[in-house]
Amino acid sequence: MITVSPKTLNDVPAPLDLANLTPEQTALEIKDLNLFYGEKQALQNISMKIPKGQVTAFIGPSGCGKSTLLRCINRMNDLVDICRIEGGIELNGEDIYGKHVDVAALRRKVGMVFQRPNPFPKSIYENVVYGLRITGEKNRRVLDEAVERSLKAAALWNEVKDRLHDSALGLSGGQQQRLVIARAIAIEPEVLLLDEPTSALDPISTLTIEELINDLKKKYTVVIVTHNMQQAARVSDQTAFMYMGDLIEYSDTNTLFTTPAKKKTEDYITGRYG
Amino acid sequence: MKDWFKTGSPWVWLSAGGVSLSLISVIGLLWLIASNGLSYFWPSQIHQFDVVDEHGKQSVVIGEIYDRESIPTVQLAHLDLGREIESETIERILVKTGNRELVSLDFRWILEPLITQRSLPEDVAVVERRSNGNFYGFIEKIVLDGKDVDSSKLDELLERVNEFQAQISELQKVDIGAINYQLERIRLKERKHILDGTLTEDVKADLVSQSDALKAEYQTLEKELLALRKEVSRDQIVMRAMGGETVAINFDQIIKVTFSNQLGVIGKFGVFIEQIYGFIFDDPREANTEGGVFPAIFGTVLMVLLMTVIVAPFGVIAAIYLHEYAGKNAFTKLLRIAVINLAGVPSIVYGVFGLGFFVYMVGGNLDRLFYPETLPSPTFGTPGVLWSAITLAILTLPVVIVSTEEGLARIPSSMRHGSLALGATKAETLWRIILPIASPAIMTGIILAIARAAGEVAPLMLVGVVKMAPTLPLDGNFPFLHLERKFMHLGFHIYDVGFQSPNVEAARPLVYATALLLVTIIVGLNMTAVNIRNKLREKYRALEH
Amino acid sequence: MDNLNVGRHISGQFNEDLERVINHVMSMGGLVEKQLKDAINAMIEGDEKLAKKVLKGDYQVNDYEVNIDDECTRIIAKRQPAAGDLRLIMAIIKTITDLERIGDEAEKIAKVAQESFSKEQRDLLVSLENLGQSVLVMLQATLDAFTRMDFDAALKVHQTDDKIDREYEGLMRQLMTYMMEDPRSIPQIMSVIWSARALERIGDRCQNICEYIMYFVKGKVVRHTSPEDMENL
Repeated sequence: MITVSPKTLNDVPAPLDLANLTPEQTALEIKDLNLFYGEKQALQNISMKIPKGQVTAFIGPSGCGKSTLLRCINRMNDLVDICRIEGGIELNGEDIYGKHVDVAALRRKVGMVFQRPNPFPKSIYENVVYGLRITGEKNRRVLDEAVERSLKAAALWNEVKDRLHDSALGLSGGQQQRLVIARAIAIEPEVLLLDEPTSALDPISTLTIEELINDLKKKYTVVIVTHNMQQAARVSDQTAFMYMGDLIEYSDTNTLFTTPAKKKTEDYITGRYG
Repeated sequence: MKDWFKTGSPWVWLSAGGVSLSLISVIGLLWLIASNGLSYFWPSQIHQFDVVDEHGKQSVVIGEIYDRESIPTVQLAHLDLGREIESETIERILVKTGNRELVSLDFRWILEPLITQRSLPEDVAVVERRSNGNFYGFIEKIVLDGKDVDSSKLDELLERVNEFQAQISELQKVDIGAINYQLERIRLKERKHILDGTLTEDVKADLVSQSDALKAEYQTLEKELLALRKEVSRDQIVMRAMGGETVAINFDQIIKVTFSNQLGVIGKFGVFIEQIYGFIFDDPREANTEGGVFPAIFGTVLMVLLMTVIVAPFGVIAAIYLHEYAGKNAFTKLLRIAVINLAGVPSIVYGVFGLGFFVYMVGGNLDRLFYPETLPSPTFGTPGVLWSAITLAILTLPVVIVSTEEGLARIPSSMRHGSLALGATKAETLWRIILPIASPAIMTGIILAIARAAGEVAPLMLVGVVKMAPTLPLDGNFPFLHLERKFMHLGFHIYDVGFQSPNVEAARPLVYATALLLVTIIVGLNMTAVNIRNKLREKYRALEH
Repeated sequence: MDNLNVGRHISGQFNEDLERVINHVMSMGGLVEKQLKDAINAMIEGDEKLAKKVLKGDYQVNDYEVNIDDECTRIIAKRQPAAGDLRLIMAIIKTITDLERIGDEAEKIAKVAQESFSKEQRDLLVSLENLGQSVLVMLQATLDAFTRMDFDAALKVHQTDDKIDREYEGLMRQLMTYMMEDPRSIPQIMSVIWSARALERIGDRCQNICEYIMYFVKGKVVRHTSPEDMENL
């Protein structure tokens, strides 16, 4: 008689010890981050380590600071005049808020996809190679290869390969969002930030994107902000729950969605009054 | 009634009424201009009136009916018309009689009751001449090189003369003009050498030989010209005018001979088209009251295009600075208010500014720095097409700035963020993403600027427009585009013809025709710009959710 | 019910759905409790009518199970419950399975009660009464713990199963002695053993239910852990 121990059935990898990640495992480390919009503090003492090659989701009610935190990672908050930041974020051990950091170069390493699909009013091809053109790449072959590789990685190649030079605005919402992801990965970033990437899409497109995220984590570290808890549960390996600018709970997704440690988290994910 | 008000339909009617009112006025305006302007080109009937004046003297009047009006009989009580008038008003007719060498006034009022007989003689001819206006009369005979010939040779001879005339004008304008221009340049070169103190004997000799060569060339051309002139003035046409006087008209004076009363509708239409063509492509004659308006069209369009080329980059750059780079502080606000207020300054003020600043200050200094050889006669230190274009550019700058800024503000921030997130700098984002998307708005600004600039006359009178420009600002002599030259402008042409010409009455249809042309050109320019904008809009349409 | 926190969802409809399913579980629990009580009484008193009623009542228990199962499936499909809600639904789905089994055991006891027994044998049945009462008390305590979702109460009930097991063993020895004394009574005694066995199984099922309660409250799987570990949760 064969005895099947529960351990042999369980092929889900053991959750990472998020508090004690080794430097090799860590893609991003956020250290005591405080962020102020003018007088108002939007983020309070956020500290967390985001593991490499995994999907980390930020969830929380509107205005909890999850998007703000995401935007800190590629310094999009620099665009807000009244925004002030204390503490730091390290990308592979280097402080991205350091004095001599080239923000444009940082953003090439940390790609970002926004809530609404925002393809440029150019052809599909030009959209994908935009980042490369910025870096001065002119070699037609390199560009062609990048387009094919990125579109394939974004699971869009088969749908658009015959009309690469048509306007990107003619694509459907879901296709546009995948195009935007292709555009972001064309410059081979290390980290991909997704700010509610499916909130403007229909459920089927949403599932396509989610499937894509699952593929992307083989190559990139993905950080996703989402309103949709089920989505976070479906796509992420780690989930951070934020509330009113605080990081309430940060643990592996399986634990957080079955047995959250904090009552606030529980109330939020079960849809109760906070 | 109250219920009717509540339904909201009064407001629908009110707004519809407003729209119809403006529509009616626009159509009315166009109708007025078009009907008056186009009728100028339609060959009219030549009437012959037998008139017995109040003194019992008989006379014949031949001409086109220009106008008619009724005047109260009482007003004419002091005149003894020789018969009783029963009606309260008397019709009188304004007849264009032409034949300026015979009568002092080529327009004449005739009181209806004095006309004893009227007819439309078949063989009456209208001879359009290079000077002295039209001649109305009957062809007596044609003198070919001193011998009388059959009048059926007329068309053949006219054709021959016109060919020669074309050659003459080609010679005068192009060849001789070029030689004159080069001679002038040699003179200036010499003067420059004198001013610089570098006039050595070698240089002088070289210049003299150059100028001698040109002068020799000039001599041969002049001979050619004289020969042509002689050819042209070989033949004569002898006309009998209404008074019975015979007048010999040299063929070199004749542009066209029309037998208006013999023409059918199709024939008239042919003449009509011919007239319009002539109006658009010919040079003006007789103090602008005759001939075409080509230099004015050319000047207007060139000036507007120049203005567009100047205002577009400046306006766009200013708008980009205001919207993208300037801090959101009181200074920027002030700047913006200043820009908007600039649009409210009366245009003549811009003219004064252009004259004082551009023409005298900038132009004067340019002359001192770059054209000392021509002084004291100014090059850029005098009104010219460049200063006109720049002045109008400043005039229309607020329009471009405001609409460009609006366009920039309408671009969704997601576009900016998308580009920045891909590692583009702000400048790269502006150049590659923002400006193309804002281009329809920029085009809108340019359209408005063109519409405003093309119709503006007042400031131009100060900074570059003249009644009669001897040369176009664009010709075959290097550097081809002569920005310092003065130019003619349709708007000013209207003013000049309508109010400054010796014969206001004769010029009135011309005013309408020119106005129609101006409107057509502005509409044409606008339509082109609107077309471009619509194409751009179509390209970025999906962005405007 | 307070521990359940059911009433605080933003979606009132979700609240109602959860409340309804919990109420149904309570009713089912009550019904099963009554079935068991009736079955035990029928057996002890030889009341065939009561036994028949129990047999009939089991259909109702089965109905409850099917309906609650349906309701849970619907809630999962429509609401995608997470965390506590998810554990509650999981606990309910498993609890009703065990409740239904308890119902089945009660049915078995009732069937035994319908058999004809001699006077002596009837005395044997009476000896089941103690065990029956203990099991009944345990079931009541379990349902009580479920109603309050009380971890400590569940833990306590969980531990009382030992006592039932001991009682069961004692009873078995006693019955074994009877069989050796009088082999002719073996068929009847076998019936009694079946009843005792059923009661013992009910105890195990109550224990399972307590484990679900503990899972729901603490979110930890307590099955197959030693009692000491359980207390340390």
